[in-house]
Amino acid sequence: MIIETVPLSRMGSPSVIEDDAGAGHALSDFLLQLENYSPSIPDSVVAHYLNASGFESQDPRLIRLIALASQKFLSDIANDALQHCKMRTSSQITQSSKNQKGPKEKKYVMSMDDLAPALQEYGIVARKPHYFV
Amino acid sequence: MAESTEKVESGSDARRRILNIAVSTVLLETGFDAADKMSLETLTEMLQCFFTEVGNSAKGYCELSGRVEPVLGDVVMALINMGISLQGLEQYAARPNRHVIQPPLQASAPRTPAMLSAGSKAKPAPHIPFHLPPLPDPHAYIRTPTHKQPVTEYEAIREKAASQKRDIERALTKFLAKTSETHNLFNTEDNQVFPLIACKPTFPAYLPCLLPTDQVFDFDELEYHFQVANRTEDMPPDKKGDQSDNEGENMGDNENPNSSQLDVQDTTMASSPERSKAGG
Repeated sequence: MIIETVPLSRMGSPSVIEDDAGAGHALSDFLLQLENYSPSIPDSVVAHYLNASGFESQDPRLIRLIALASQKFLSDIANDALQHCKMRTSSQITQSSKNQKGPKEKKYVMSMDDLAPALQEYGIVARKPHYFV
Repeated sequence: MAESTEKVESGSDARRRILNIAVSTVLLETGFDAADKMSLETLTEMLQCFFTEVGNSAKGYCELSGRVEPVLGDVVMALINMGISLQGLEQYAARPNRHVIQPPLQASAPRTPAMLSAGSKAKPAPHIPFHLPPLPDPHAYIRTPTHKQPVTEYEAIREKAASQKRDIERALTKFLAKTSETHNLFNTEDNQVFPLIACKPTFPAYLPCLLPTDQVFDFDELEYHFQVANRTEDMPPDKKGDQSDNEGENMGDNENPNSSQLDVQDTTMASSPERSKAGG
């Protein structure tokens, strides 16, 4: 199977071309690493959703790449949400006088209050519906 | 989460559930212990939209450059267009604590049971394209005769008709001899050897057909009820011998219905042998 590394911009300056070509090479190398890698999301599920929008690929590595990218995307958002959650709980603990909950026993529960500001940084506005239709 | 009561859930539900599990996995790896249901659903929906969007734009980029099969560059372009950076992807792939979800098991397609299939379907002829549906069961178009060719020879038919006629007559006379009243050929009480169908003419002969009556199960009981209902102790005697029915239903207003029956039998007994000879 021949991997095409399409240069990301042919019209750019030579330095940009080199950078992009380098990135393209890195990614194609990464694609080779993906042969034995299995991301958390199964291939069949990802392939189904991609097929539903017209993207059909016989190469499973592409699908794994997309799955991995989506996972990373989610984990970035989750990390930001965790930061928000920690900020909130730490402020709550300092407010309350009881010190039963040590930092080890802290249980983080993700709620919409943590998720909404995290998503807003990414430009996604998640609004809670006022009522269920 | 609303539990599905069906055993077999649709494909979309199963995949959605797997996305749910994947999101939960990511959250667990991040450090959360629990999540709000709404936020979980939000992230699942985002994940599904992500796949759809990447697929769409990668397909667009691929077709833009005149290809049909997408390639790595198309995917990269699509991701960058969405604003997803690919910088830390390798490090993320190599993170230590990652869980892998089992891929969903392939549900076997329910095979429609072959109902009322008789015989195996014939192979299509070579001139028929293979993508056409298979031939139906052979009994649907193969003609087999349901009976043998009847004999049309004149002699055989005459013989058959004659034997049938004889069999019918014999069977009918035997049936009547066993069920209806019989005369005795010999002067004994035993009636089994040569039963003759009793010939009891009534006048008029069409009378029982015109008068509808109920079915009689027990003649004696009927006679008793009839007698009780129509007591004729003070009736004039000229009405006794008026009705003589060979079936014995309307026995008349007699105090001794059995004796009258015997009388009738004796009077016709003399003439019955000649008559029965013709019919026997």
